[in-house]
Amino acid sequence: MKNPLRKRLPRELKGELGKYLVVFILMVLTIGMVSGFLVADGSMIVAYNDGFEKYNIENGNFRTNQQIYKSQKEEIQNLGIKLYENFYIEEPLDNGSTMRFFKNRIEINGVCLMKGELPKATGEIVIDRMYADNNDLKVGDTLKSQSGKQTWKITGLVALSDYSCLFQNNNDSMFDSVKFGVSVVTPEEFDAMDQDKLQYNYSWIYDKQPKTEKEEKDVSEELMENIGEIITLEAFVPRYLNQAITFTGDDMGSDKAMMLILLYIVIVIMAFVFGITISNTIRREAGVIGTLRASGYTRRELIRHYMALPVLVTLVGALVGNILGYTVFKNVCAGMYYGSYSLPTYVTVWSAEAFLLTTVIPVIIMLVVNYGVLRHKLRLSPLKFLRRDLSGRKRKKAIYLSPVIKIFSRFRLRVIFQNMSNYLVLFIGIIFANLLLMFGLLLPSALSHYQVEIQNNMLAKYQYMLQVPVSAASGNKFDSLFSILEFYMSAETKNEDAEEFSAYSLNTLPGKYKSEEVLLYGIEPDSRYVKADLDKGIYISSAYADKYGIHPGDTITLKEKYEKEQYSFKVTGIYDYTAGLCVFMTRTQLNETFDLGQDYYSGYFSNTRITDIKDKYIGSVVDLDALTKISRQLDVSMGSMMGMVNGFAIVIYMVLIYLLSKIIIEKNAQSISMVKILGYTNGEISRLYIMSTSLVVVFCLLLSLPLETVIMKVLFREMMLSSISGWITLWIDPMIYVQMFAAGIITYGIVALLEFRRVKKVPMDEALKNVE
Amino acid sequence: MFLQIQGIKKSFGAGDSRVDVLKGLDLDIERGEFCVLLGPSGSGKSTLLNIIGGIDSADEGNLVIDGERLADMSEKKLSLYRRKHLGYIFQMYNLIPNLTVRENIEVGAYLSDKPLDVDELLHTLGIYEHQRKLPNQLSGGQQQRTAIGRAIVKNPDILLCDEPTGALDYNTSKEILKLIETVNQKYGNTIVMVTHNDAIKDMADRVVKLRDGMIRKNYMNEHKIPAAELDW
Repeated sequence: MKNPLRKRLPRELKGELGKYLVVFILMVLTIGMVSGFLVADGSMIVAYNDGFEKYNIENGNFRTNQQIYKSQKEEIQNLGIKLYENFYIEEPLDNGSTMRFFKNRIEINGVCLMKGELPKATGEIVIDRMYADNNDLKVGDTLKSQSGKQTWKITGLVALSDYSCLFQNNNDSMFDSVKFGVSVVTPEEFDAMDQDKLQYNYSWIYDKQPKTEKEEKDVSEELMENIGEIITLEAFVPRYLNQAITFTGDDMGSDKAMMLILLYIVIVIMAFVFGITISNTIRREAGVIGTLRASGYTRRELIRHYMALPVLVTLVGALVGNILGYTVFKNVCAGMYYGSYSLPTYVTVWSAEAFLLTTVIPVIIMLVVNYGVLRHKLRLSPLKFLRRDLSGRKRKKAIYLSPVIKIFSRFRLRVIFQNMSNYLVLFIGIIFANLLLMFGLLLPSALSHYQVEIQNNMLAKYQYMLQVPVSAASGNKFDSLFSILEFYMSAETKNEDAEEFSAYSLNTLPGKYKSEEVLLYGIEPDSRYVKADLDKGIYISSAYADKYGIHPGDTITLKEKYEKEQYSFKVTGIYDYTAGLCVFMTRTQLNETFDLGQDYYSGYFSNTRITDIKDKYIGSVVDLDALTKISRQLDVSMGSMMGMVNGFAIVIYMVLIYLLSKIIIEKNAQSISMVKILGYTNGEISRLYIMSTSLVVVFCLLLSLPLETVIMKVLFREMMLSSISGWITLWIDPMIYVQMFAAGIITYGIVALLEFRRVKKVPMDEALKNVE
Repeated sequence: MFLQIQGIKKSFGAGDSRVDVLKGLDLDIERGEFCVLLGPSGSGKSTLLNIIGGIDSADEGNLVIDGERLADMSEKKLSLYRRKHLGYIFQMYNLIPNLTVRENIEVGAYLSDKPLDVDELLHTLGIYEHQRKLPNQLSGGQQQRTAIGRAIVKNPDILLCDEPTGALDYNTSKEILKLIETVNQKYGNTIVMVTHNDAIKDMADRVVKLRDGMIRKNYMNEHKIPAAELDW
């Protein structure tokens, strides 16, 4: 015969529908979101990785200043690669952005059509989907060149496999999918465009694929030298260095751990909510439990009985969450990736890992926590249950409260003491929900503060990084010498604001976090732009010091990106510069350290534009726009998510307060009924029971703020360390605290109103009913 | 007449399952009177007590206390009525478990403009030394004393007692009855007590016997004896 107690389960579910429904919804949302994320993330990574083969993504590309001859092409191909033309033309558009036009590619760097159709006639164009989203462009719209002479009708939206991340220049510190786009037109249209702007870009595929990054590096370096002897190179970018291709892959999947932590925290909190509910039920049903135990029911049978519903709700929640994850939330999460990257379409891949992490583990957590609580609560003898004496071995003594304190205050304090475990869970829940809320509110304000901060402490309004043509480092010796000479003659400026500096780039040592680039500046004596006493020793930027926790007197060790050679420097001071990880030293020291020659310089600081240097000698210009690219892009890709984070935080907070205050009212239903009989009004009863929770909520909210600040500092730091190159200083706008407190109080206000209704509904015969 | 009960009817359920619990009761009780309601289970005595207490309402009839009709009172006014005029004592004490003895009594005191002195009352009740204890640290008798304290601290006009000795042993029951008697004599409250125990009728001024929702007997006790002399 089956245990007849199971018949109680549907009744219990019906009787406590509100509670179970709320928990169920929260579980479904959380598990659905996380499962959706894991599925989307997994599927996207598969699509991204498969894309290399599917779209035949290049192993690298190089640019020349003129089309190469057939014989040169053959000679190059004999080096062990196959060459493909991938010419492009860049054209400024009337919306202030730059568009890079390609002919449709068939053999290499395939195009993934995501909407509409490929161009068939002149005047038609397909553009990158991400760029289209960011510029509010749709199929059927028209693009116009800045000059107004040309227009293109958008026939479709695409993802170009070699531009999953819209980096215009490979040297850029961050991509910019707002102001830079890629597109494909028909060959006829391409040929009709301004051919003076044609960029002779060639992509290659190795005949024999290198197996490791090191091997790829060696092969590509050799290739560059060899090609350089055949033609004059303007740019040379092997795939492993091509940020437009690799950035997306590096970035994807890094948020997985965070999402899982989020899930497990919610599950643990919910498990404790169930734990408290169960304790409450056991207290209420002490007589029943005592009778059952006395009649021969084992403790295990009762544990199983009381555990059934929480575990069942979690299991069903997890299953429904997973279904929603695979159908609805997957698209939401994929949307986040599509909001940052120009990824091709993906096929949903079933993930056993996602199922394990979002279904099996939550159910196990629920099982363990509830089992623990139940085992502890049901350890007492049947007699104790029959006598309703659940206080364990020691009888609890009342904490002394002086009669001088008003009875209402003492009453509230007693309610607080009685519900300490509820309030503890509430406190942890508030900290967690508020942390999420803080993060959601903080990121946009930190980003905008970062932009202002950068603007205020830029080294110079413009930093021109000169670029020695690739031909100077490759090709035959005469060409090379000629190129360098030409470069030095043409790279001089008459601008009086300009101040030369030398620069060298090294990498941090790989460790817990990935190795990243540090720019070393060699500064002129008595510099107008960097005001530090560099004769005494080297300075590092405050961003560098903050990120790696470096103080004056410490020694930093950096290495060549692809070499073993390491350099150590003793830090003398910290220079207030937040825009990048930099080291400042005298120009002489830098040039000597890296054997660059006494007069070597690599660029100019200037507060005014330098107009007398040819564009081809300028590798990059670091101005405010360039420095704030990273924060702008983070704003674009994460900004939309923040609203969701805030919403989720408020839902968690509301659910917790609702459940816990409901438990408190239910636990005291008999007392509430009794004081009603005595003649207390609903208002007075609310002042006793709801006000206690109100006081605790206010206290918890206030106490949580400094705690959250400390936790956020650690979390933000970890996030910045692991997910971005460079550094964004944590800035907590004081208004955020006000907003968090206000959100907490308003949310609580709504719950308190519901609780007031609950107090009103407690019948007076409750006190009579439970008389046994 | 202080408390007038006129034609009170009350039924529970509907249709076939309808049970008439009170079938038209008339009863008058004087101020300061000690009235005992006797009757077997299901006779309607507790229902009558709850109607007097304003926590249940009659289907028909009038209940007038000190000239005021209960039926005319709003929810708020009923609260006020209970607050001003009533004290309640239950069989299972119904103390607030997380308040100390003293605090439980103070919960009652809060409701009155002129409450009795809590310390003096604690002495009268014999629980002064237990005032800092929680209900679960007390014996049944001590808990009932506390409940009595909570009920009378606001010096109510009417003290409603629903089987106050139902859960207590013989000696403790007598102690509690003596206490109720003392309260009646000292503070002059009107007391309406529901009980199964026939012996208690001997200490009452008025004895009302109910059966099947009707008053079968209603008489003044000519030979009232002190609680201490009761025996059963």
